[in-house]
Order: sequence, then C-alpha cells, then structure tokens
Amino acid sequence: MTKTTFAFGLLAATVAMAAPSHADKLDDIIASGTLRCAVVLDFPPMGMRDESNNPVGFDVDYCNDLAAALGVTAEIVETPFPERIPALMSGRVDVGVASTSDTLERAKTVGMSIPYFAFEMVVTANDAAGITSFEGMKGKTVGATAGTFEAIALEKQVTEWGEGTFRPYQTQADVFLALSQGQIDATVSTSTVAQANVKSGNFPGIAVAGSAPFDIDYVALFTNREEYGLLNYLNLFVNQQVRTGRYAELYEKWVGGDLPSLTVDNVYR
Amino acid sequence: MFNYTFQWKQALARLPQMLDGALVTMQIALLSMAIGILLAIVLTMFRLSGIRVLSAIARTWVEIARNTPALFQIYMAHFGLGSFGIYLSPFASILLGITFNNAGYLTENFRGALKAIPDTQARAARSLGFPQAGAFRYVVLPQMLRIAFLPMTNQMVWAILMTSLGVTVGMNSDLYGVTQDLNALTFRTFELFALAAVIFYVITKAITLGARLIAARLFRY
Repeated sequence: MTKTTFAFGLLAATVAMAAPSHADKLDDIIASGTLRCAVVLDFPPMGMRDESNNPVGFDVDYCNDLAAALGVTAEIVETPFPERIPALMSGRVDVGVASTSDTLERAKTVGMSIPYFAFEMVVTANDAAGITSFEGMKGKTVGATAGTFEAIALEKQVTEWGEGTFRPYQTQADVFLALSQGQIDATVSTSTVAQANVKSGNFPGIAVAGSAPFDIDYVALFTNREEYGLLNYLNLFVNQQVRTGRYAELYEKWVGGDLPSLTVDNVYR
Repeated sequence: MFNYTFQWKQALARLPQMLDGALVTMQIALLSMAIGILLAIVLTMFRLSGIRVLSAIARTWVEIARNTPALFQIYMAHFGLGSFGIYLSPFASILLGITFNNAGYLTENFRGALKAIPDTQARAARSLGFPQAGAFRYVVLPQMLRIAFLPMTNQMVWAILMTSLGVTVGMNSDLYGVTQDLNALTFRTFELFALAAVIFYVITKAITLGARLIAARLFRY
C-alpha cells in the first residue's frame, strides 16, 4: 500500500466517522429544503381548491406554517383519504396534514402528533326524510365519506341499531349528491363540511338536523411511527400554533365561530 | 425509501371478513354474467333480425358499453338514474353497470363467433326443414356459444375485477369494499390490499382453469 492511498483511506474513515451515523427524517427535510405534506383537497374548508385551482384551506395554511417554521419550502401533495398511508410509506410525503382522526387502531400503524384541530359532528338530512335528530336516523339509509372518523362511527351505530343501511361513498361530494337526490336519507359529517355544503346551494333539499353524539373528533398530524425527532417537533409546533394565536387566526379565517379546545380535561397527553 | 413493518397477523385476523366479501363479489359477477349472456343473445338476434329499430338498439348498446369506461357506466346506474328519481341500491347499481358492460362486450364476442360459422350451416339446416328460428336455435346458437366460450371466460374474469368499482357507488360488502373499510379502520393498507389481491388472483385463476376443464370435457368432437 502506498502512502497516498493510505492517507486517502484514513481521510475517508475520518469523514465517515464524523458524519452522523443516522440522519432522521427531520434532518432529511431540513437538508432537502422541502416539506412535502399530504393534504386532502376534497374536504372544505380544511383542504380545497380555489378558482384558479390552487390548493387552499386550513390544512394548506397549516402546512405552509410548518414549512416556514422549519425554514423550508412547502409542497402540497394532494392525497385522497384512503391514500394517506401509502403516500407516507412510499416516501411521497413527509408529513400528513390531512385532518386524520387519532384513533388507537391507526396509531398502531403511524405516529400521531397531539391534536391540531377538533371537529364536531352533525346530522344533515334530506328534507323529505323527516329526520329531526340523530335518533331519527334509526332504520333509515345513511351514508358518509369512506375512511373518515364519522363513517366508522356511523357504521358502528347502524350495526348497533340493528336496522337501516350504511353506505360509504368515496368523496364528500358524492355523499351530498346522494343525499340531495334522496339515495340516502341522512349523513353525519363535520359541522364545517355540513354548513359549507348546505350554504353552497349545490345540493338543494337538505338541511342540518342536529348534532351527532359522537366523541369529539380530534385530528392529528402524522408521520412514520418511529420518527420521534419529527414527532417531537410536530407536537411543539402544534403547541406553538395555539400559544401564538395562529391557530385562532386560521380558525377564524377558514371556519369562524367558537374556537374548539384541543385539550381533554383531567388527563395528560 | 420504503419504510414499513409488515404486520401480517393484523391483516390475517380480518381474513374471514374479506372472504365474506369475496362471496359477494362472486355473486355479483355470476349474476351479471348470467343476465349478460341472455341479454347478449337477445342483442345478437336483434342484430340479425334485419329490423332497423332493433339492430339500431343493439348497435347503440354495444357502442356505449365498449367505448365508455366501466366506472362511468356504474356511476350512471347509481347517480345518473338517481337524478331521475330512480334509486338503485349499491348492489343493484353495480349489478346493472356490470351487466350492461358484459352484454355489450359479449354481443361483440358473439358477432365474431357467428362470423366463424359458415353460412352453409344455416342453409343446410333450412333445407332439412328447420324454420329460420329453429335453424338459429338448434344449429347456429350452440356452435356460437362453443366458439365464444373462452372469450366469455375472459369477460367473467373482467366482471370479477370490475366489482372493485362498486366502492364509487357506496358498495361496502364486496371484497374491495370490505378491504377499503378495514383499511380506514386500521391503516394496514399494504397487508390488507396484498391479501385482497391474492384473493382476487385465486378467484380469477380458478375461473380460467375451471373453464378450460369444462371446455375440454364439453367440446370434444
């Protein structure tokens, strides 16, 4: 072995040792200069498109804020509800800012941050169905958007009632189309979605019939389960958003009304 | 960069539910084929009838069924008819959509099969004293079904796979619908859909092999 190759070998070994043994996802994001967020753009007012087809909404702003905090550029990756996990696992996105309910079942697969938003559920009914409350849906044909918290809860409820039918549709728009046509009698959705759709005038003959007694639907940011560095950062970021008043500001901008609390009494997260 | 730990136990625990879904899938496919074949025979007779209105109906049906996506046909069966106040359940919508598609494609298959039967067959039957309908029923039709048997198997496989489009019209009891429900519940996307793919494969493979066996027994000269 000549002296030169030996020197090069030594140099290479030093460099290898000096480099971090494992760059985690947070490092990767900072190094790449881009934060890729999975956002559902069929879920107003959380995610949608404006007249010029640009993604807008609460989740879009939230992703932009997160990217700004990290000092990188945000990239919104449109991801329908059922494709959130494949998008994350195949490395197409870094973080999900996609109104994802933080169920224990799902947390076995992905890592959830502390809640960054909370939904209340309401019943919206076709006027002809004569439904005036949640209980009024018993024995009727009801539907919801496949893959959402409310769809899972409603399907369970229909099974418990032992009568009536549950139908999941692929998009929020299809649910309200089916409701407006009378294919289904009622749906349970987030109050934000219900009001937006009733007000839009695109779906005649429907009205909000009352609240649904489901648990409050807390939604979380998510990323790979083992990425603790990033999950810690996300938790702190959610906390800072509330602390700095940015959460209230975004809520007022996209939803309006009473700001939902993101904490649960009598227990730590 | 694929970063995922497969948990097959979690998915296998749901296998009974998925197999129930597979039964519904087979049910839809079989029904849609049975009705589709009958309709296709009727449409083929319309075509041969020489009556302009009837052959126009058959032509339009085949054109729409073959030149628009199956997804569109199923969507129209549900939301399209729904806008006229005709409400079909998800099961009926998917059945109607796939049957419509099957009938269109099979009519085209039958046309090809008919071309392979020499004219002389029908003429010979007529000269033996068969009336026109009888010549079709007893001489041409059996030969046509025999030639079209393997293409019909293809369509059966296609019908099985098309059932996965049922989720667009609110279907959640077929194999694909069940899988999607379970995916929303558990987020075990890869395991569940891999399992569904295997079940689909086994079903369609069984159908093609079964059809070959039947053909070998049935169509010996």
